[in-house]
Amino acid sequence: MTVIDTQELVKRYRTGGQTLDALAGIDFAIEPGEFVSIMGPSGSGKTTLLNILGLLATPTEGKVVLDGTDVTGLNDRKRTTLRKQTIGFVFQHFYLLPTLTAVENVKVPRLLNDDPGLTNRARKLLERLGLGDRLDHRPDELSGGQKQRVAIARSLINSPKLVLADEPSGALDSDTGRQILDEFKRIADQDNVAIVAVTHDELVNEYVDRTVHLVDGTIGQEGKNGR
Amino acid sequence: MALLDKRAKMAGRFLPAVLMARRNLTRTKMRSLLASLGIVIGVVAIASLGMFGVALQYSFSQNLSNVGSDITVVPNSEENVTDLTERDVQTIRREVSADATVTAVKNRMEPVSYGRGEPGQKRIWGIQNPKRLYEADEGQITPFRNGALVGSNVAEEHNLHPGSKIIINGSTVRVQAVLNEEGYSPTNPNNRIIIPIESFGQREYSGVIVSESTGTQANETAMKIRDSLNQRKKRVSVEEMSSVVEQYEEQFQIINIVLTGIASISLFVAGISILNVMLMSTVERREEIGVLRAVGYQKRDVLKVMLMEAMLLGLFGGIAGVILSIGSGLAINHYTVGNAIAVFRLPNAWYVGAAFAFGVLMSMVSGLYPAWKAASKEPVDALRS
Repeated sequence: MTVIDTQELVKRYRTGGQTLDALAGIDFAIEPGEFVSIMGPSGSGKTTLLNILGLLATPTEGKVVLDGTDVTGLNDRKRTTLRKQTIGFVFQHFYLLPTLTAVENVKVPRLLNDDPGLTNRARKLLERLGLGDRLDHRPDELSGGQKQRVAIARSLINSPKLVLADEPSGALDSDTGRQILDEFKRIADQDNVAIVAVTHDELVNEYVDRTVHLVDGTIGQEGKNGR
Repeated sequence: MALLDKRAKMAGRFLPAVLMARRNLTRTKMRSLLASLGIVIGVVAIASLGMFGVALQYSFSQNLSNVGSDITVVPNSEENVTDLTERDVQTIRREVSADATVTAVKNRMEPVSYGRGEPGQKRIWGIQNPKRLYEADEGQITPFRNGALVGSNVAEEHNLHPGSKIIINGSTVRVQAVLNEEGYSPTNPNNRIIIPIESFGQREYSGVIVSESTGTQANETAMKIRDSLNQRKKRVSVEEMSSVVEQYEEQFQIINIVLTGIASISLFVAGISILNVMLMSTVERREEIGVLRAVGYQKRDVLKVMLMEAMLLGLFGGIAGVILSIGSGLAINHYTVGNAIAVFRLPNAWYVGAAFAFGVLMSMVSGLYPAWKAASKEPVDALRS
């Protein structure tokens, strides 16, 4: 079963007297365990698509089906609940809370829940990502790669079916970027999580199962990586 | 059991928000400190002024404690009545209750000098049976035939003791006793010189003071006296001290309301400074709030954390304010009532509690708009870098 499936997605922005089609009819689907990159020049609609996939924005037209449920017309509260249950986010600039330790940052999405096993799970996730000796460090005591690992652990704390990554290697040097992409690949394979990475970085394509090229709000040719 | 469970769950949901809020505040320690300093000042201002009013009222009513059941009857000069006759006094005696005391007094202005100084005009009093009303600080009140009794203020001012000489209207009189200092009442002797009532030439009295045992009884007696003496024309005016006391207490209450009202302006200012601080921090933490929303925090969760921050600022300021207020209350009561411990009286607790509650409430109200603004920001907009 597909994790997320979009049909004929259109996102139209009205600025001044002009209308701009950020997305002009996108059909996109991803299976569990699949690692897909979305590439395209600036203004091609990558981030808009990622926001709609992440239920952070709603499409002007078309349909979004998440894990078998049509989520197109849901209100903010229901979208937030679904987002929490099924989707994890990784951002280019990590966006860790500076006052919290690594473990606490990983716990953030579930902090307001009554969840007794939370700390243990957060520690295990960080250990798995190779940060066993950095558990109680604050973000300013971590390197860029380490911060991104904390962010990845945070995206996994709710056991999501889909992880959305916005330029995950964008703020990292290429060696660190490779390590992060390795982590993503491993997570997709081991946890059967679908991963969508929006990127400029050609490096990403070495790791993904397929690449979707966006041009002017439409999908161009799709490249498959034989695996 | 179920209720307990629910409570534990609520605490579990609440505590993390408190912890998060606390961390956010300690991130900008100086700023948070200054914001709650406003609340501290506001709380101290309201509580101190409130307690100051209470202390004043207390020291005033301490002086007035016995006056509430007193009635004074004086001739009504508007009807050209200048004196009360012996018959009037007898009438009054008939109307009062069994355990009331009736004191008829005479007074007139006389030139008085103390030792070598120039004589000054002073009102001289004649009071029936002074032993019943007063106690002597120095000397003896009885027998009272030709000496003078002086009040404590007069004695202090002119350095008078039993045996001292004063000259009233040319004739020398020896001070027989200095009277104990007394609280405010119509028969208060502190500023008076009293001579035997028999030495007044006139037969008429200038006033009668009735002391009843209770305020209600006083009220009843006052009505009876009016009925019997003012039948044909309003010959006397009867004043109940309880109504005077009431008037004073009303005045004090108004003063207190005005004082605390002025003080609460400072809490509004403090509220604005919290509003400002919170608005700044929502702008600074735009992305962070966006992340929280992206990882599944509902609007109301963000609202809760932000409101909690405002509440913590208020609580911190409020608690510090209460501690300082109690300190200032001790000082206020020490200097006005002469008893620092008097700060632990109920009305003071009320003022301190109200100031604290108002401080916390003010902080939360001020936090409302920034919190709402932060919560209703679209996560996509917040995360756009």
